[in-house]
Amino acid sequence: MQDALPALVLNSEAIPRTPMNNTPPTAAFPASPASDEHLMLAFSKGSAESFKELFLRYKQPIYGFFRRRTANPHHAEELSQETFLVLLRAASRYEPRALFRTYLYAIAFKILRAHRRKSAFRATFLGQPKSIPDPAKQDATESGLWVRRAVEKLDPIDREVLLLREFEELSYAEIADLLQLPLNTVRSRLFRARTALRNLLEPSAAPASNESKQTAEPASSPSAPQSIPQKGLRL
Amino acid sequence: MSTTAHPIAPEEIMAHLDGELSAARAQSVSTHIETCTACQELVNSLRHTSHSLSNWTTGAVPAGLEKNVMLAAAKSPSRPSSSGSNWFPRTLHLSRKQWMRSLAAAAAVAVLLLAISVPTLHRFRSAGDKVSVLVPLRERKTPATFGQPVDSARVTSQEEQQDASRLSSAYQSLAWSSAPAPPASARALKEYKVLPSEKGKNPTNVSGFSFSGPMIARTVSLSLIAKDFDSSRASLDAILARHNGYSASLSVSTPRDAARSLQASLRIPAPQLPAALAELKALGRAEAENQNGEEVTQQHADLVARLKNSRETEQRLQAILTQRTGKISDVLEVEQEIARVRGEIEQMEAEQKNLEHRVDFATLDLKLSEEYKAKLDSPAPAISTQIHNAAVNGYRNVADTLLSLILFFAEYVPVLFFWIILLCVPAWFLWRRWRHALADAI
Repeated sequence: MQDALPALVLNSEAIPRTPMNNTPPTAAFPASPASDEHLMLAFSKGSAESFKELFLRYKQPIYGFFRRRTANPHHAEELSQETFLVLLRAASRYEPRALFRTYLYAIAFKILRAHRRKSAFRATFLGQPKSIPDPAKQDATESGLWVRRAVEKLDPIDREVLLLREFEELSYAEIADLLQLPLNTVRSRLFRARTALRNLLEPSAAPASNESKQTAEPASSPSAPQSIPQKGLRL
Repeated sequence: MSTTAHPIAPEEIMAHLDGELSAARAQSVSTHIETCTACQELVNSLRHTSHSLSNWTTGAVPAGLEKNVMLAAAKSPSRPSSSGSNWFPRTLHLSRKQWMRSLAAAAAVAVLLLAISVPTLHRFRSAGDKVSVLVPLRERKTPATFGQPVDSARVTSQEEQQDASRLSSAYQSLAWSSAPAPPASARALKEYKVLPSEKGKNPTNVSGFSFSGPMIARTVSLSLIAKDFDSSRASLDAILARHNGYSASLSVSTPRDAARSLQASLRIPAPQLPAALAELKALGRAEAENQNGEEVTQQHADLVARLKNSRETEQRLQAILTQRTGKISDVLEVEQEIARVRGEIEQMEAEQKNLEHRVDFATLDLKLSEEYKAKLDSPAPAISTQIHNAAVNGYRNVADTLLSLILFFAEYVPVLFFWIILLCVPAWFLWRRWRHALADAI
């Protein structure tokens, strides 16, 4: 099954992610010929093959991005399609000021927020039924329902930070930029989300982990924030 | 591990595993993890959690997605390079927000064009009215000669020059149009304006009052600052006498330690208004001037027609009274009707006279102020008096302000409260519902 696996950057054997240490490609430091940025630049100059290559690289991650955030798989397909159409339309204005991956996820995130607003508006004013996912009607091939249920219980912003880090493999700075949050807030929320997820997945380990967390914290540093003020972008 | 001596925060360990630390800091954290059991447990826990997420798969991409996107990519026009020779603009691919912005910009431009063009058109019309008003002024003379045919030979050269200057100024306001420039002299202007076929026309000729053009009731307001108030006051009387005008009302104010002022409502024969106005302006510095012209042709014609009908009705009633015989009650009824019609006729005649008077005599509201010079003969009040007066005024201002606030709240707070309840409560319910729906969508 093709899928965007979690980042697994916690695994020391995993290949280090390129965006973590690299600077964004600029005119002075052009990207490698096969890089996403190079392909996008080629596409902006009319190369259809470059777009095809980009689509093949990102169709699964983008679909996964939406599939994890929407209950309806048809919505995920539509939003994915809309993302690539926006990419097509915006190709002429593309400038390699940031990683293409960040650029693409920023587009997807905006489309997702617009979709959520529309859904909320329809549910509020048009009285359409809320799209609450029914596990019995989910995609038969989807597994890991218990993980998804645990993730759903997280705070919305914590969940978004966790998903962007684990599945979209964005750096802290990129997440902070996308969600319009301070960098330290992103780190705190990510740690809190991972801790909460661990407690949800392993309830028996929660008290011990909490104890270990308390002992592991330095005296001068406050504990993981219990209540982080709601800043940044509204999801 | 000691709570007080642990040098690495768990979030930093997580950041190290995420590759978010600098090389030097990552080295020290890595060294610490190798020696710290609690940190090793934390590392294992984080790795396990991350690994658990790998079970969340989303399935394969639907086949329709690739098909649709590739179809759209094929339809999308190939982008020419910036150095290409294709100079045609690329197809606009605007988002909804960009479309909205473009439409808003277009609407703003349209509004701007309207805002510019409407006053220009209005000015054009005003200039047209200004030209048309000159025809009756030229064909009429003083109020004493109403109803008499205009004898162009009796028009003095001075009036011709005045009319010529007015016509010229009117045409100057039309200078941007492509119309040919009219002749300069008044006589030539009249020939230019009045066509031979129109000379015999007399559309309105009732009760000895004839017009061949629109009737304009003109009003002018003028504010002057005069250096010598006394001489200006005397000149004002002379100007009025010279132009056969009179003052409908006049009041002079001579306050202490302030400039004297004169306010008057002058009535000047309409043909002599420009000359009188020019002479009045010479009395001092014109501070403000406003001229208006109200066309009352339709109103006058309507009045004349109604008057004619009422007179005919009266005549018929008189004939009935003299020629027919009947009961006393019928006779009384006819007499009552005659009295009513007579009352209407007199009222309409008064209105007509008033209307014609407004046309004959332009109204000039004059405000003549003296250029004030402070005098030393009146000593300023003592400082203590000034402080006392200021304190009293301040107290009054505070009291007035408080009273105004209380009155405002007493008057409008119930209405505001009513509208708040009427609008905000449903809005709050909708907002709350929308927030819940948004939270469910997330």
